[in-house]
Amino acid sequence: MIIDDPRSKFVFLYHPLVLMGRSYTVYQGKEMTNGEVLEYWGKWLVLGEKGRLDDLAEKLDPYVENKEIPCIKYDRKPPLNLGLEECVMMVYCDRRNRDEVWKILTRFGIKMKAWVTERETMEMWMPGGILLERWMASQDYDEATRDAVREDAGRRLVHIFDHPEETYKTWEQ
Amino acid sequence: MAVTVRVPGSLKEWFRGSDEAYCQGATLGECIDQMDREFPGIRDRLLNEEGEIGAILIFLNGENVMKLEGLATSISDGDEIGIIPFAAGG
Repeated sequence: MIIDDPRSKFVFLYHPLVLMGRSYTVYQGKEMTNGEVLEYWGKWLVLGEKGRLDDLAEKLDPYVENKEIPCIKYDRKPPLNLGLEECVMMVYCDRRNRDEVWKILTRFGIKMKAWVTERETMEMWMPGGILLERWMASQDYDEATRDAVREDAGRRLVHIFDHPEETYKTWEQ
Repeated sequence: MAVTVRVPGSLKEWFRGSDEAYCQGATLGECIDQMDREFPGIRDRLLNEEGEIGAILIFLNGENVMKLEGLATSISDGDEIGIIPFAAGG
């Protein structure tokens, strides 16, 4: 189902069970640990105008409903503050299933193949990471606020790296 | 050795309005050099002052080349190179 809540900067596609508390970071029926997410979890990236991604989301929703695709999210508007002029759709899956998910995307005309691991993304948003620093610069924060944001990012993300045995938990976006 | 290069709409101007181009080379670095001859300035857009991959992400058949061998990554006939802005990876 498509979750289009204007309070979020993203539009999400989840299986309805996710809204009832079920994790979407699951492999072969088992919830993944932090370590497994860092090793296997990632996404295919699709860039485009919002309208095009809305159309694509409608077409991909059935594959989320039947669990062939675990989760999708995409920008409500281009993140200009990060230097992007297009919206980005992230089609999440386990690396071990990514070829099957890619085949689904190609059915809808997606040609540019770009896989980014969750580990890479987390590293970009860690304290000192290039995207965290770029985002903070766009917010015009003072140094004290920047330090607080870095501390919060560190608390969330470093925990994942330091506790590979724990079940992976997402946070609200 | 023909290699397809794909970019999103926002980068089409790099390739004279097309989201698809072609290049040749035995390595990614050679492909970028060849593209720069056909589309002057591409090299500076893709690489930083140190000649390293800079503010963009480059994929070879879907895989981030930084996880392969960077500019030394071998290219084969029929390969596909994808180029997207760095921030899209987040």
